[in-house]
Parts: sequence; structure tokens; C-alpha cells
Amino acid sequence: MVNGFIILFGLTMLYLSTTSRLKAHVDALVAQGILLFLICAAGFHHMPWFIILFLTIETLLVKAILIPLFLNKVLKKTHLKRDTDANIAHFYCLFISSAILFGGFMVSVLDIPSLSMINPMCFGIALATIIISLWLITIKQKILSNVIEFITMENGIFLLSLSVAKEMPMLVNIGVLLDVFIAIYILGLFVSQINKELGDMEVAHLSDLKDSENND
Amino acid sequence: MISLVLILPIIFCLILFFFKNNTLNNILITLYALLHSSVGIAYFLKPELLGECNYFGLGSSNIVFYLVLSIVFLAVSVYNCGYSKNLAKEFPAKKMMLYSIMILIFVFSMTGGILSNNLGLAWIFIEGTTLASAYLIYFNKTKHSIEAAWKYVFICSIGIALAFVGIILLTIATGDINTLNYNDLMNNAKSFSHFWLNVSFVFILFGLGTKMGLAPVHFWLPDAHSEAPSPISALLSATLLNCAFLVILNVYKVMLCANCVIFARTMLLIMGFLSLFVTAVFLYHTTNYKRMLAYSSIENMGILAIATALGGIAYFALIIHLIGHSLIKASFFLTSGNVLELFETKRIKSIRSLGLIDKKTAWLWIASFLGICAFPPSMLFLSEFLIVKAFLIQKHFILCALFLFLLTVVLFGMARVVIKMVYGKKSEEKFELAKKNITKISKTMYIPQVAMLTLAFILGVYIPKFLDVIIKNTLIG
Repeated sequence: MVNGFIILFGLTMLYLSTTSRLKAHVDALVAQGILLFLICAAGFHHMPWFIILFLTIETLLVKAILIPLFLNKVLKKTHLKRDTDANIAHFYCLFISSAILFGGFMVSVLDIPSLSMINPMCFGIALATIIISLWLITIKQKILSNVIEFITMENGIFLLSLSVAKEMPMLVNIGVLLDVFIAIYILGLFVSQINKELGDMEVAHLSDLKDSENND
Repeated sequence: MISLVLILPIIFCLILFFFKNNTLNNILITLYALLHSSVGIAYFLKPELLGECNYFGLGSSNIVFYLVLSIVFLAVSVYNCGYSKNLAKEFPAKKMMLYSIMILIFVFSMTGGILSNNLGLAWIFIEGTTLASAYLIYFNKTKHSIEAAWKYVFICSIGIALAFVGIILLTIATGDINTLNYNDLMNNAKSFSHFWLNVSFVFILFGLGTKMGLAPVHFWLPDAHSEAPSPISALLSATLLNCAFLVILNVYKVMLCANCVIFARTMLLIMGFLSLFVTAVFLYHTTNYKRMLAYSSIENMGILAIATALGGIAYFALIIHLIGHSLIKASFFLTSGNVLELFETKRIKSIRSLGLIDKKTAWLWIASFLGICAFPPSMLFLSEFLIVKAFLIQKHFILCALFLFLLTVVLFGMARVVIKMVYGKKSEEKFELAKKNITKISKTMYIPQVAMLTLAFILGVYIPKFLDVIIKNTLIG
């Protein structure tokens, strides 16, 4: 069952890479948050109960509720609907994302002794999620899309930390939580400030600082 | 005392929050800087005063980094006394209070990062530095400062997230040993999986290399350093980059203990030379003197990476270079603050005849330039000389030639700008403006640079025995 949730989590990345509607991006984040919650709750009994409790509450509360709420608020405030100016067409996005996800699956079926410490399915999909997110950051044009891909990357890293089949130090969990704070910080402070200062949310408008021009 | 140095800034922040007074801001920042330095002194005179702490400690491996942070922070706090008076004329008390609080949190995070003996904890503090310094970069609230802060937060957050992936992979490498404590990692390193160690090092190097400003992941650095207020630029360049480097160095030591260092050395060499190359190319085109200094930081971080990769005699050079670069670059950035106050512009073209307007600033500008370009007796001359010697001992003749060539190009690029700024033909309009602004430069805006440059030049010819011992122990400890 856990593997099913992990595969569904991977598929949300395909959905993210093919849609330009920002509302759909936020919905995908909600789905990822719920799936991560289910993965934590259902499949990781090798950890102490208090760590599982912390992780499940954190994922459900922060990843599935708080961050999407924040994002929806920003979407309403900025009247943003779509990120239509991605550098690559949707078809190619889907193709490349599928190839990366397929690579993730391949990692998960490899039978290598050095992979004995990890849950292969979790590891493969997490790696694919991180790579797809990094790639999507480079092709999307809206600042908000970049923030959403950053959060999906964080989700991928969270899944990666779950893939290690041993008790992770509590510090690592605190680290994950701190990353979420960074995401909220970026969202809450900068996105609204950039919108106020520049009037829109295009990455292209954040390219004034160059070596060849005179910046007072 | 170690607990005190971590608790006190939080108490000071609360006091500043309730009082909102500019004089109090300066007093508490300077007081914290003095206390910070006293802990460093206590390490040599009365180590028992430092006390025991589970996750934090001051030892041979981090004392140099701590001392550098203390000295630079003390210098910046003195400079800030004069600088913040000028800022207070433009900004309301509430904003000045936030500025001071963020400086305290920023230094607190860097201190925590240096003192922590646990990789996970160090990572959390490094992330904390991003949160605090982002506000400081964004302080002026101009379009450019927002752009710089956004790039800084976003790129560094991605970098730090990748470093986190590296830490997760390191826990896979450790097998049954469930710890992130540096000493435990080094003691058990021989049993670690070499494959996972190498993979984790790639992620940690790229992740924290972003924060350290190594090419090709350096993009935030010129923007952030040039847009931040000058005291903050000094802290960013002279101390923050060192904090990230300390974590990389500690992981590198684990690799050394695991006898799995060939791949790590190659990676460091590539990123080091790439940083030198990027500086040599971009420094030539830059039209902004603060960006020029930022590129110089990338160059020097590249030199640190190269020295780490070379090993042997270059380890000694590495620590000498780290100390020298921090002292001189902090002085350079603080002096750039004086230039900015005088001319109200960062454009190189608009600044001429600095020597006719403010002789003290002009001399500091030239002395900082001579120091950073490794003219003897600067500490950097000693370190770069030793690095060249290490290249020759290891028979890397082509790399040595390339290293010297890139350094010469960088030196030429900087010399061109500095000489034009100090001796170039004056423009009447800017000349009058700068003459009028000279009253903005108080004595506290010269003294810290003089002190740091003097120290950097004296240490270039004479290294006291106690410092020699701690430099040698830094890489063994």
C-alpha cells in the first residue's frame, strides 16, 4: 500500500509539469501533502512513535494545509491565473518528466548491495521528484511557480529522508521543518513585496543587476 | 561562556525590540562583539571558563574561524557606530531597530554554525544565517535590493536543501552508526561506504558551495554583496562564507579519515579553478566597485578550495589565506562604504580623485587593494606563495601556471579600477558632492580598517607561536 502512495506521489509531479494553471499547482501540493502524511502514517513503523507523531502532524498541518492556504491567498491577492510562458512546451515537459520518473523507477528496481540501507521505491521516486522540481524551476517564468517547485523539491527531500531504513536523528526532522519555514518566509515576505514593487511576478523582471550595466 | 555567547544575543534582541533607540542599538551590538571576542581570548587564557556543552564547543578545529568572526564582528560593530548615524537620518527608529536585531541574529547564527560539533545542527544554523541576512540585504527596499535579496534567498535555499540531501546520503553512508557528530563521524569513518560518501560529498559541496560562493553556483553573491549596506557586505564576505567553508572542511576531514579523498579533491580543484576563471572574466567587465569586491571574494573562496584539495603544505596556506582574506576583505568593504557615503554611487566611472577628496579613505582603499592582491607583506602573499610551492612539490606545473595566470589577470583588473578611482581625472560635479559629504565620515569609519589591515600585514611577516600552533592544529583537530 505504501508503494502505491509513493507512486501516486511521483505521478503528481507529472501533473505539475503539464499544467499551467497555478491553482492546479497548489492542488497538486495539497495532494502531495496528504500522500506524504499517508506514507508517514502507514509505512514507517521502524521509527519511535514520537517521531512518527511529529512527522505526521507536521506533514498534514504544514504541507497539506498551511502552505496551500498561503499560496491560495497570494494567488487571490496577485490575481495570477496561469504560467503560460514556460520555456518548453507541455508535451516536451511531460516527456522529460516521465523520463526522469522512469529513471527513478529504474533506481528502485536495481538490486545493488549499497542500496540495502534504503527503501528503493521511496529513494527512486524522491530522487526523481527532486530532479524534476529543479528542472521545472529553470523553465518556469512566474516567481510563484518557482516557489511551488521549490516546495515540491522540499517534499522530495522529505521523502528521501523517509527512504533511509534506519532511525534518522531528530535533527533531520527539525531540518525539514526549518525548510518549510524558509518556504513560508519566501512566500510571505518576498513574493508580496516583489509584487508590490514590480507590479507583477515575472522572473524576467528580476534581472536588472548585471555587470555590464551601471547600477547605482 | 559558550552558552552565554549563544543566549545573550537573544536577550539583546528582546531589549532592542522594546526600546527602539539608536544609541542603545550600537551599545548592545558593540557589547556583544566584545563578549564574543572575550570568549576567544578565554580559550587561550582560561579554557575552563568556556564550560561544557553537548552540541557546541570551541576546539582546535574551529577556533581560527571563531577568532576571525570575533575580530571582524568587533571591527564592523565599531564601524557601524558611525555608519548607523548616517542611516538613522534616512530611516525611522523602528527600521533601525530591526536592522540591529537582524545583525545580532545573523552573528548569532554564524556563531552557532561555527561552534556546533554536529553536522545537522551546523546545517540548521547556516540556514538561519540566510533568514537573518536576507532582511539586511533587502534593507534599502529598492528594486535592486529586492532583486538581490530574492536571488540570495532562493538560490541559497536550493543550495542548502541540496546540502540537506547530502546529509541524508551521509547517514546512509554511515551504516549502523546513527550520528552526525563530527568526532564520531571521523572516528568511525573507516567503516563508511565509499560510494555513498562520495555521492554525499557532491551534494554537500554543491549545496554549501552555493553559500560559500564557489563557481558555478555563485550567482547570488555579486548581487547580494553589492546591494547590502557596507557593514553587512563586510560580514557576508569575511565571515559568512567562512562558516559554510568550515562545514565543507569538516565533511572533507571525514572523507580524509575514510581514505576516500581522491574524488573530493578533484571536485574541489575543479570548483576552485572555475571560481578563479569566473572572477578573471567577470571582474574585467564590472562597472560597480562593490561587485568587483564581491567577485574578489569568489576568487578567494576558489583559492581556499584549491588549497584544501592540494593538502600538505597548502593546509597551512589555507588557514593563513582564510584569516588574511577575512581581515583585508572586511576592510575593503568597509572602505567601500566610505566611498559610497562620499560619492553616493557605486559606479566606478563616477568616482575619480578619491585621493584629493579624502586622503584617509584613499589610503585605506589602496592598502586594502595591495593586501587582497597579495603584495608582500600581506598575509595573502605568504599563503599564495605556499600554494604555488605545493603545486610545484606535487609536480602540477600546468595547474600552477594556470593559477598564476588567473591571479595576474584578476590583479590587473582590480588595479585598473583602484588606480583610476584614486588618481583619475576629477569631475567637478562629483568632486563638489564628495567634498560636501566628507562630514558624514566619522573617525569610527576609519579605525577598524586601519586595525584590520595592520594586523593582516604584521601577520604576513610574523606569526606568533600560539597562532602558529592553532593554525597547524586546525586541520589536524
